[in-house]
Amino acid sequence: MDYDVVIIGSGPGGYIAAVRCGQLGLKTAIIEKYETLGGTCLNVGCIPSKALLDSSEHYFNATHTFAAHGIELKDLQVNLPQMINRKGEVVKQTTDGIKFLMKKNKVTTYQGMGSFVNKNTILITDKNGGTQQITSKNIVIATGSKPASIPSIPLDKKRIITSTEALNLKEVPKHLIVIGAGVIGAELGSVYGRLGAKVSFVEFAGSMIPTMDGTMGKELQRAMKKLDTDFYFNHKVTSVENKGDEVVVIADNNKGGTLTLSGDYCLVAIGRKPYTEGLNLEKAGVQKDERGRIVVDEHLQTNVPGIYAIGDVIRGAMLAHKAEEEGVFVAETIVGQKPHINYLLIPNVVYTWPEVAGVGYTEEELKAKGIAYKTGAFPFKASGRARASMDTDGTVKVLADKQTDEILGVHMIGPRTADMIAEAVVAMEFRASAEDIGRMSHAHPTYTEALKEACLAATDNRALNI
Amino acid sequence: MSLEVKVPSVGESITEVTIASWHKRDGDSVNADDVLCELESDKATFELNAESAGILRILVQEGETVPIGTLICRIEEKNGVQPAAKPVEKAAPKVEPTTPNTNRTPAITENKTQSMQETPQTTEVVEMKVPAVGESISEVTIANWTKKDGDQVQLDDVLCEIESDKATFELTAEASGTLRIVAQAGTTLAIGDLICKIEKGAAAGNGTQGGGVTPSKEMYSAPKEVLKEENKKSEEPGTQPAQTTPVADNQKTSSTSYATGHASPAAAKILAEKGIYNKEIKGTGIDGRITKADAVQAEKTQPKAPAGPQETAKPAVNQATASVPGSREQRRQKMTQLRKTVSRRLVAVKNETAMLTTFNEVDMKPIMEMRAKYKDKFKEKYNVGLGFMSFFTKAVCVALQEWPAVNAMIDGDEIVYNDFVDISIAVSAPKGLVVPVVRNAEQLSFAQIEAEIIRLAGRARDNKMTIEEMTGGTFTITNGGVFGSMMSTPIINAPQSAILGMHNIIERPVAINGQVEIRPMMYVALSYDHRIIDGRESVSFLVRVKQLLEDPARLLLGI
Repeated sequence: MDYDVVIIGSGPGGYIAAVRCGQLGLKTAIIEKYETLGGTCLNVGCIPSKALLDSSEHYFNATHTFAAHGIELKDLQVNLPQMINRKGEVVKQTTDGIKFLMKKNKVTTYQGMGSFVNKNTILITDKNGGTQQITSKNIVIATGSKPASIPSIPLDKKRIITSTEALNLKEVPKHLIVIGAGVIGAELGSVYGRLGAKVSFVEFAGSMIPTMDGTMGKELQRAMKKLDTDFYFNHKVTSVENKGDEVVVIADNNKGGTLTLSGDYCLVAIGRKPYTEGLNLEKAGVQKDERGRIVVDEHLQTNVPGIYAIGDVIRGAMLAHKAEEEGVFVAETIVGQKPHINYLLIPNVVYTWPEVAGVGYTEEELKAKGIAYKTGAFPFKASGRARASMDTDGTVKVLADKQTDEILGVHMIGPRTADMIAEAVVAMEFRASAEDIGRMSHAHPTYTEALKEACLAATDNRALNI
Repeated sequence: MSLEVKVPSVGESITEVTIASWHKRDGDSVNADDVLCELESDKATFELNAESAGILRILVQEGETVPIGTLICRIEEKNGVQPAAKPVEKAAPKVEPTTPNTNRTPAITENKTQSMQETPQTTEVVEMKVPAVGESISEVTIANWTKKDGDQVQLDDVLCEIESDKATFELTAEASGTLRIVAQAGTTLAIGDLICKIEKGAAAGNGTQGGGVTPSKEMYSAPKEVLKEENKKSEEPGTQPAQTTPVADNQKTSSTSYATGHASPAAAKILAEKGIYNKEIKGTGIDGRITKADAVQAEKTQPKAPAGPQETAKPAVNQATASVPGSREQRRQKMTQLRKTVSRRLVAVKNETAMLTTFNEVDMKPIMEMRAKYKDKFKEKYNVGLGFMSFFTKAVCVALQEWPAVNAMIDGDEIVYNDFVDISIAVSAPKGLVVPVVRNAEQLSFAQIEAEIIRLAGRARDNKMTIEEMTGGTFTITNGGVFGSMMSTPIINAPQSAILGMHNIIERPVAINGQVEIRPMMYVALSYDHRIIDGRESVSFLVRVKQLLEDPARLLLGI
């Protein structure tokens, strides 16, 4: 065997698995189809979208809140190509960083498309058609996901686009129609909304970010109404057509009515699907489920011993940090350690502004499970820190067990909640009670005080600053 | 009602002990298993734990030396008796004047009084005994308790894990109530022996809260939370006894809560790798959480050893050689039930059968060629690899049907002939050797056999094998070759009469048609019970297996 471990795909799951394998002394190789390492997250996902989200947020503040801060600007304008360039720089620095990490951990990098020859052999086809084969005791499939599409929505990648193209637009749309008001739709919709586009969300479910706690969707929608946004919930898109300079979207609502919208761009953000094309899984006998996901057991091993799969290509939330945990998990499992992932405590994050973050059970889930819980909430309006920065949208909600006070879920929308959620994860990993957090000192003035206050509210309705 | 605590007998030749220090103060509320005091003898220092929860009344002060059997303290039970209730009622008015928020207090008093009135109900005790878990299992070992003595348990909660020689299973509560453990972890019990008792409705003092809530949980419920807070403020030193009852006590002694025994992420991983259950160690973190340090140290002590053989665990280091570099530590571990059974049965087979072994060798070239040729197609079609096991199983099935004595077994003074072939396959599982059965192997196709073996091996590896899946079997195949064995004499898997041993495949020079050729060769061994299988049958059987393997087309044609 050439290697102990070969990893196919260098996204956050794959490259982290490679680093950990390297740390554990395994002879490791990683195969990447694209020219840069890092996968969706670093190239066309988390990192570039955050770069644009920040740029657009600065612009939005410059146009809307600077005057209130006492800063007057004239002739403000958006230089979208420069924004996209800067985003490109950020991506380049980050992907170069991965190259360095591979080198540092003595991981061999192969450029090309990896596919199975048999359960221990991978054929690598480079972009010029050259091939080579490598063998490995263990293989980790980390090929991630691609934007999903449905037949009634023909993607042309010009006017009818996915998140990948939305990160490289040449102009700010006048009217962007976003199909799907989930995480990706909400994030990219708010980028262009802030840059001045009118944004219409057409969503099949009854609220924004429908998989998160119900309060979050409502609060996010309220906050996004500050932009030029329209929301069409409970609408099923029946056709999308590119008519040259405009896109026409037709959708049925659940009351028998029909909606027709026309805009200059249509962003399709209806989710992502596992990506296994070209892997030749059948050569190794690796099974997929009915939704195209690779089937794994509790050790993340597929039905073929020695072949593992992690990240978006298997069951569970499609989140970079979930894939990272699984990357570490598999590396440690291969060397015989016994790691554990608490999937309940993998936080969900939406990088709109205000940001949304949640961990543990949602209120809806607790109700469905029949668990007796109590709620404590604290709005950012009551936070001195939030007032100082004019970020008073949002709230922190803590759900705790009615009897034991153990924190069962934390859901927050507001400034920097994506960072704040980490405290809730730590607390819940140690099974802290709401009162435990209520009794820990939080620096003043910070956004994190809102979590402490919400915990006090949950403990015994004794928040101090409201 | 109170429990008398006397100096326990701590070892031969020790007649008296000194109270080194009290860990609890007179009047403290203690929980079961709390360390009460440290006792010193001339040989060792040890800790005395509370046998039940209650209010501590110290009778012998620190520094005093007393003989074994002396009464040193009492533990007054707090929730059973009327006197304990009175201080509570008194406590309320005491709290009132100093409390800024007086309107809350009366409600609490009422709450308390009500609950106290409900307590003197008679407690019904459910005795839980070792259930009959399967034929031929006469004794089991308590592997570990997932609940602790005194814990509140709910109906169907998992109480402990029980190991039999064949499988591990969980014992669930037959009633809700307070758990009283009778048999400690590590104890071996016969079927029907008492494992534990559950006191139904005991300590259900909080009827007003909706019942079923444990005392530790109680501390969090809203109204009492207030009481706790207020009490703290109004408390003068020395007025603690009883009036603060469960609420404040829990806070002080930080005994048990829902999070007791919860391991931190790093600790959980370390424990999993050491194969130690959370419940086997005591957490030193807040509310008994298991910290990383607890988990790191968990291996140094012998957590599994129950009360008895603890002494034998450690002092194995020879003093005289202590200067020699390198560890000379020995470890003693109780044999698992599985290991005990394996050892007992293997010896029994050696003693009770007339076992001997016949050998042969198989030229594996034809099978290997066939495999090389069809394995991809096979895999594609059946989604399972074509291994050697299916060839061997198939060949054995054919041979067994031709030589039925090899597939038979002795029962008393009768011979039982089996017209079917159930092949036991020896599999190395984490807890030891297990032998799952591929049933009616003679009816199965190659693909079905391979799939079944993979399924069973997977279950064995995950310790999910049921007794059912391991019982029966008319003949066994064991493959020592996977570990590199060249030749061995396997031991029969009783009550079967024969076992086939496979070995590694090694290229060896053999004479073929007068020429020396290098062939992939495997030695095969058949151990059999000479009582019912004659030499002619056993040897012919093995030769037949060899023929079928060296010319697999015969399997197809049945010749």
